[in-house]
Amino acid sequence: MQYPEPIAQLIDSYMKLPGIGQKSATRLAFFTIDMADDDVTAFSKALVSAKRDLHYCSICGNITESDPCAICADKTRDQSHVLVVEQAKDIMVMEKMKEYHGLYHVLHGVMSPIEGKGPEDLNITSLINRLQKNPDMKEVIIATNATPEGEATAMYLSRLIKPAGIKVTRLAHGLSVGSDIEYADEMTLFKAVEGRTEM
Amino acid sequence: MYLQELQLQHFRNYPSADLELGPGINVLLGENAQGKTNLLEAIYVLALTRSHRTANDHDLVNWEAKTAKVSGRVVKSVGSVPLELTFSRQGKRAKVNHLEQARLSQYIGQLNVILFAPEDLAIVKGAPTVRRRFMDMEFGQMNPRYLYNLSQYRTLLKQRNRYLKDLQHKQNRDLLFLSVLTDQLAAYGAEIIAQRLRMLHKLEHWAQAIHAEISQQKEELTFHYATQVPEDQLTDPDTICAALTQLYKEHQDKELYRGTTLVGPHRDDLHFRVNGKNVQTFGSQGQQRTTALSVKLAEIDLMKEETGEYPVLLLDDVLSELDDARQTHLLKAIQDKVQTFITTTSLSGITRQLIKDPTIFHVANGTVVADGSAPSGDPATKED
Repeated sequence: MQYPEPIAQLIDSYMKLPGIGQKSATRLAFFTIDMADDDVTAFSKALVSAKRDLHYCSICGNITESDPCAICADKTRDQSHVLVVEQAKDIMVMEKMKEYHGLYHVLHGVMSPIEGKGPEDLNITSLINRLQKNPDMKEVIIATNATPEGEATAMYLSRLIKPAGIKVTRLAHGLSVGSDIEYADEMTLFKAVEGRTEM
Repeated sequence: MYLQELQLQHFRNYPSADLELGPGINVLLGENAQGKTNLLEAIYVLALTRSHRTANDHDLVNWEAKTAKVSGRVVKSVGSVPLELTFSRQGKRAKVNHLEQARLSQYIGQLNVILFAPEDLAIVKGAPTVRRRFMDMEFGQMNPRYLYNLSQYRTLLKQRNRYLKDLQHKQNRDLLFLSVLTDQLAAYGAEIIAQRLRMLHKLEHWAQAIHAEISQQKEELTFHYATQVPEDQLTDPDTICAALTQLYKEHQDKELYRGTTLVGPHRDDLHFRVNGKNVQTFGSQGQQRTTALSVKLAEIDLMKEETGEYPVLLLDDVLSELDDARQTHLLKAIQDKVQTFITTTSLSGITRQLIKDPTIFHVANGTVVADGSAPSGDPATKED
């Protein structure tokens, strides 16, 4: 016995989402059938709008409704610092900190030859262009993840940028604030001891 | 530490067994295909929750039963702990001190064992990958930083090999990214080499003493870490890293042509030398056995040095492969130190007066009987 075509298509669509297999997709599809009409309409509109009304900022690569994005357009921000992140969602996390007032740049991933991602597949050319055009640029802060790929990407960027005389820095590794030492794993502790600071 | 008692239920060809074990040497005596190795396997399983002989836990359960149980009591310097493992179709459950453990990682480590079986000769005779795996397994167990460096190195190696292959096919050659991968690989590679050298030095120290003992001071065992890094630069990680970087520079054209990484700890080897000659190529069968045995026994002392307790030693059919003098010295080397389980088909090789109170168990067709006591357990019906 086959599912009727509309629900089969819906299951197939849900399965395209990350982390959702056939069983979860089927559950979600049947839940959707029981949802109120208004909710379903709003849901489908949100889906389409997210795709149609959002673009990548032509300067920094952030997701935005208007181009350039709100951060790039804000001239009161510190124009001499750029913080480089892997994903657009990392910008939101950084902004929550409310302490950084410089600019951002989104790479859209990290270099990983295994996944077929080389330097040319990342948003690097526009970063270099940006740095060349901005004579006030003092510092590039690299905030890629602490994975081997993130480290390799960070090192690649620093070698690319440093010859231009711009300072390149990397986020610190170590203990998370407010946590107990006894719960930290050995490698985090090792990094924390390695990166200790004088008091 | 030592295992004080062992109980089996529906494990392999044992319907049930309940044994009081001696803290010294325990001899499992019996004909072929009676269940001697199954008993060793039970102890190995009790320690590590998995078998060295099969990847499928269900093979451990007796053909006529649904669940198998292995339990025992481990005596350590700080007191004794009961351990219990149950295997069924639903999986395995592990209990420490009668409390069920949610994660097997919390269970493993309660009982440490070192197994020496005839297959372990491959450490000496086999391909370099066997020796690299040996180093990685042993040192990784004792040092979490080694394990971390190793996993980072493996990831980077995969990335770099892939990138070298990509460079072969593409017109556009971004060698800057290759240099980044190379430098990172060199940094982790240097850490791994430095740690291997440090641990090998300790292991060599213990292995040398044991080897001298077994060979009656006639032979000297030395370790040689075979790597492309020049010997005079094998010092601290920074120097090794610089040497590796230089090697990568020299090999770059060849690596680009071959599309793979040709230098680093993943291509290194460990050579065992007896009186200065490589045992793998120039040693006799007996010398190769003695070397493998010395290295394995040295692990006992290294584990004591690193963890503070002696592990339990399991020797599977090792005695028959050694001559009388080597047997005697092996038994001398482990006596009074480590609880040992030996499987053998006859006692004739073992000079009985040398072993201080060996506990002897007669193994026959799925039953174990301690020497001089009444039979315990039901006689099994033949399985096959």
